[in-house]
Amino acid sequence: MPIYSAEHRRLMEMFYPDHHQEYSEVLASLGTFMEKELLPISPRIDTGEVKMGGPRKALLKQGICRISFPEEYGGLGLPFSIYALAIEMLGTADASTCLSVEIHNAVAEGLNLFATEAQKRAHLPRLLSGESLASFTLTEPASGSDAGTMATTAEKKGGEYSINGSKMFITNAGDADLYLVFAKTRKGPSCFIVEAPNPGLSFGEDLRKLGMRGSRTSEVIFSDCRVPEADLVGEEGKGADYAKEILHGARIIVAALNVGIAQIAYEKSLSYARQRKAFGKTISEFQLIREKIADMKTEIGAARLLYLYASRIKESGGDYSSEASQAKVFSTEMSLRACDSAIQIHGGYGYTTEELHRHWRDARLLTIGEGTSEVLRMLIARRELTMSR
Amino acid sequence: MKIAVCVKHAVDETELKVDSGGNPQLKGAPTKMSTFDKNAVEEALRLKAAHQGEVVILTVGTPEAKKTMKEALAMGADRGVLVSADPMAMDTRRTSELLAAALKKGGPYDMILCSEGSSDMYSGLVPPMLGELLGLPYVGYVKKVDVSGQSAKVERALEDSVEVVEAPLPIVVSVVSEINEPRYPTLIQIMQAGKKPVEDLTPEALLPGAGPPVPLVKGMKAQAMARKRVVFEGPPEETAKKLIDALAAEGVLPR
Repeated sequence: MPIYSAEHRRLMEMFYPDHHQEYSEVLASLGTFMEKELLPISPRIDTGEVKMGGPRKALLKQGICRISFPEEYGGLGLPFSIYALAIEMLGTADASTCLSVEIHNAVAEGLNLFATEAQKRAHLPRLLSGESLASFTLTEPASGSDAGTMATTAEKKGGEYSINGSKMFITNAGDADLYLVFAKTRKGPSCFIVEAPNPGLSFGEDLRKLGMRGSRTSEVIFSDCRVPEADLVGEEGKGADYAKEILHGARIIVAALNVGIAQIAYEKSLSYARQRKAFGKTISEFQLIREKIADMKTEIGAARLLYLYASRIKESGGDYSSEASQAKVFSTEMSLRACDSAIQIHGGYGYTTEELHRHWRDARLLTIGEGTSEVLRMLIARRELTMSR
Repeated sequence: MKIAVCVKHAVDETELKVDSGGNPQLKGAPTKMSTFDKNAVEEALRLKAAHQGEVVILTVGTPEAKKTMKEALAMGADRGVLVSADPMAMDTRRTSELLAAALKKGGPYDMILCSEGSSDMYSGLVPPMLGELLGLPYVGYVKKVDVSGQSAKVERALEDSVEVVEAPLPIVVSVVSEINEPRYPTLIQIMQAGKKPVEDLTPEALLPGAGPPVPLVKGMKAQAMARKRVVFEGPPEETAKKLIDALAAEGVLPR
């Protein structure tokens, strides 16, 4: 099945009756690139035989991160949903690359929202073209979604800030050229651009993760890391708000990524169920296998519509934070179910084949990363309970 | 250099379905730029990068062929010429006459590039016919092109040998897929391709007074090919030898 499928095309027709052809051309072309250049090497990206840097650069060069940005910074000025769909496709082609690209794009998104004109002109064109890579540096060893408790500090000394502390579980650490760093000044959490190399910037060992093994993740350490005053993003003390806003958008994207992972697990299950025989017939003829296939298909479709719904609210300028959380909770948990079913359908081969169980390992990250399911349920329920009184 | 590339919007042969009677389902079948035509476009773009100039895409096609035109323009071609006619409803000769007339109208070109054959019909007849109709030398099945000054040195990939030919420009060249790796248009190029100029021409304007085209194909049937299904059993050393002997007997091993 082509990565940009007939189903995607139909959704574009429904959502964008006036522009769907153009959007479909963009997505179909990206899909072809992913099918030929990424999907075939995806298993070897997981095992580390192929380093992701080259393929990621080629993909960025194609323009995936240009999609939703304004034209004056090198973007294509297309709706956020087009980018979200591109990310779903990339999740199907290779989840590790997708995670890396998604984080990179989220930083660009943050700069576009909160940086000064000069900062945008200096950084966005290079980020959107893939000339430089970005990393989102918020989480700490003892501080996650409760960003206010961060221990990393930024102290103003003359015309500079000195950043001290350490950040944990940072995607693209070591590979990135630009780090969007959150650190506390006297006014509270604030946001900075730190460009690598910087003598005060160093990295821990690459973490040995359960999944997403193609992408680099490690601790990022700041010791008297000096950045010019001009690299403060927005206002001092507003960093937590900025982080929250960036994460709302990223949750839609993580939901899309997980739909992509579920999709590839589903397609593999479908073809295996059709050819594997037991008791004299293909297992696709057994009702209990059919139930799994039907549930996977149904839930993938539902998750896709939910993230696109959140994305369309974002495009229209409305408050989409709860919908983004709903999409992420549902999609990440759905993809775990789907990847689990895929292993079950493949039986012993499912449990023993990297090529198959890696999808479950990849999916497993995202009920945790960028807001755990538990925290997001809190947000969803809070809005429901305070609004409907 | 002014380079023309003739491309065809064709049924995607990898997605073609056949009904129970063996008839290919052409209506509503997915379509795309004929596979090897991308190699011809790529070669033109490489020549342009080395020698400057212009790359013009020509196609005879229905309105749907605009998709292929746009893709070739997105790859980097400068402009297009679309002759509105259905190549599936006419013989190859008429397609070639239309292309030749359009090439004469917009010419002269230094090189006219085609692929060795379209991925739907694969007759491979258009490039030599263009050579004949335009009175130009034709070099087919080319895997390498070097242009210097007013002549081209090309390598032809033949069945079991490579023939090196030198020809004065202008020439008609048909390329094989091994000549290059076609580039992917970037998203920016795709968005901008729609703004590049495409000239619309009609068969009536190009070939006034020409009679109706001869329909070449009345119907097509897909044939089921029987496989030999030979299974060799025994230890690997023996089965490997049996396999080699069998392949040799089929004449598929290199001499």
